[in-house]
Amino acid sequence: MGVAVKIRGLVKKFGNFAAVNGLNLDIEEGEIFGLLGPNGSGKSTTLLIIATVYKPTEGDVEVHGHSVTKSPDEVRRLVGIAFQEPKALWVDNPYELLVWHAMVVGYSFLDARRAVREIMEELEIWEHRGKLFSELSGGTRKKVEIAKLFLQKPKVAIFDEPTAQLDVTTRHKVWDMIEALKEERRTIIVATNDMAEADRLSDRLGIIYKGNLKALGTPAELKDRIPAGDVMEFSIEGQAGEHLLAALSRALNTERVNLTNGTLKVYVNRAEEKVAVAIETLSKMGVKVRSVSIKEPTLDDVFFYFTGAQLREGR
Amino acid sequence: MRPWVIAVLSYRDLERFWKYKWWLAALVTMNLADLFIFALIFRGIVKRELIPDYFLFLAPGIASIAAFAAAFTIGREVMMELRRGFHHYLLSLPISRLELVFGRIAAGMVRGIIYQTPFLLLLLVLLEPPSPHGLLAMTLATLMIVASMSCLSIAASTLVKSLELQATIRSLLYFLAFFLSNVFYPESVIRERFPEQLYVVIVNNPISLATSIYREVFIPEMVPPTDISANLAKLAIWTLFLFLLGSHLYVRNLER
Ligand SMILES: Nc1ncnc2c1ncn2[C@@H]1O[C@H](COP(=O)(O)OP(=O)(O)OP(=O)(O)O)[C@@H](O)[C@H]1O
Ligand SMILES: [Mg+2]
Repeated sequence: MGVAVKIRGLVKKFGNFAAVNGLNLDIEEGEIFGLLGPNGSGKSTTLLIIATVYKPTEGDVEVHGHSVTKSPDEVRRLVGIAFQEPKALWVDNPYELLVWHAMVVGYSFLDARRAVREIMEELEIWEHRGKLFSELSGGTRKKVEIAKLFLQKPKVAIFDEPTAQLDVTTRHKVWDMIEALKEERRTIIVATNDMAEADRLSDRLGIIYKGNLKALGTPAELKDRIPAGDVMEFSIEGQAGEHLLAALSRALNTERVNLTNGTLKVYVNRAEEKVAVAIETLSKMGVKVRSVSIKEPTLDDVFFYFTGAQLREGR
Repeated sequence: MRPWVIAVLSYRDLERFWKYKWWLAALVTMNLADLFIFALIFRGIVKRELIPDYFLFLAPGIASIAAFAAAFTIGREVMMELRRGFHHYLLSLPISRLELVFGRIAAGMVRGIIYQTPFLLLLLVLLEPPSPHGLLAMTLATLMIVASMSCLSIAASTLVKSLELQATIRSLLYFLAFFLSNVFYPESVIRERFPEQLYVVIVNNPISLATSIYREVFIPEMVPPTDISANLAKLAIWTLFLFLLGSHLYVRNLER
């Protein structure tokens, strides 16, 4: 599989402020790529450049070999975007808006009507079809926005925070729909602040901070990259003192070992490989282990780590 | 350029235009009433030897103004889109910038045509039907006046970001179109009353050009003979100029 979206030296300035600041990133064909980053880190700006809405200040983006600066018309034929803020005028009605969208992206008049009805029923917004956009709830507006992409099915589908404002049931449904889109051999980019969403959907993740890429990899890889990110928890019986903690620290090559109320916590990398050594060390010291559990870091931890915040203690 | 895409683009604008159909009908009625009242008042005042029938003299000018006013409403749409960020969506659609521009201009044109039709129909009913040549000239004049006014309003609306300013500009242009044009008075009067340079500006602005053509087509006996082809050519130059201006400003101000 090739590269679907190739971002090189991308800079986007608004006045003197660089919202995107020298970004390099390859998004593979057919993957779901999650873009994470704190508010204002430049996610939306980057996506808008891929969709040819903004022009880069410096650098370039290629979509299947077409440059957004040199052949934007070709890029637009391959890319579709569902915006973070639903795009409609207050007097638009959702049905007319979607039918129009379908026709612009190539449906015939009749096919557009049929397809729009299907997608609106699937997202459970058919009953709202005749309302004004100003009368819709926030979640319904968002559904109308993402419905556009499910109609369009572009080669590269960009979702900017697709499930923000959606209820739990709908979130899961939309995730399923996004995965189904991937099955149709589309490349999907999802910007999100929702770690559950990123974990569930992403084949690979990129974390950007202040317009720059801070980390890139599969969710599992990123979790492994947090120093001492795994926690082994032992519930123990018997004598345990400073000498025990020191011994464990030596055996497992970690500074972070602590004991509170009979629960021993050891922070390491790749805990699954080290748990045997830990138990052996404990039993040598005459400590009986009643139960063991291993906790991997969550994506929240990954996010904190790569965006400069502290890893939370005492999970 | 795919004509079908341009048609789809303007379809949305027309849907929106149609939402204001009652407002529109009221406006047409009011304009028509204005026309009658003006004409009735001035009929008695204006010298017969200057203009034999002021009502018939005024009607073609009102048709131009009507086209101008309706085509100009597209600018308001464009500005609302800019304010609500809707233009980002338009820019992301799988269409070229030129198609987008043409779509918007076409929408303004259709608005102008829809609105102007009752006025032209009125003329066709009241007067002898013009020759095929005359009809062709009328059609071309209509297409060009609505195109140029649509472009002008798009240019204006992407430049000013406030609704109030937009309305002010519209009123100002309206005012200019009314008073610095041949809609209300014959060219001989304009030549007499205004300095030479201003006279040239007045008779060569798009509204006056279109009005001259309509008059030549519908009431040739009431106006001194004018060269329809020359007027059509001048109108074409205006249209081209305003098209280049409007499309350039539209794309430049939408893209950042
Ligand atoms: N049109 C604009 N004009 C000026 N500044 C802008 C514009 N768009 C974005 N910015 C600024 O660029 C920075 C990045 O914004 P962007 O919307 O890309 O962030 P984001 O990562 O999507 O954040 P969020 O998670 O809140 O959606 C912000 O500081 C924002 O204020
Ligand atoms: Mg954003």
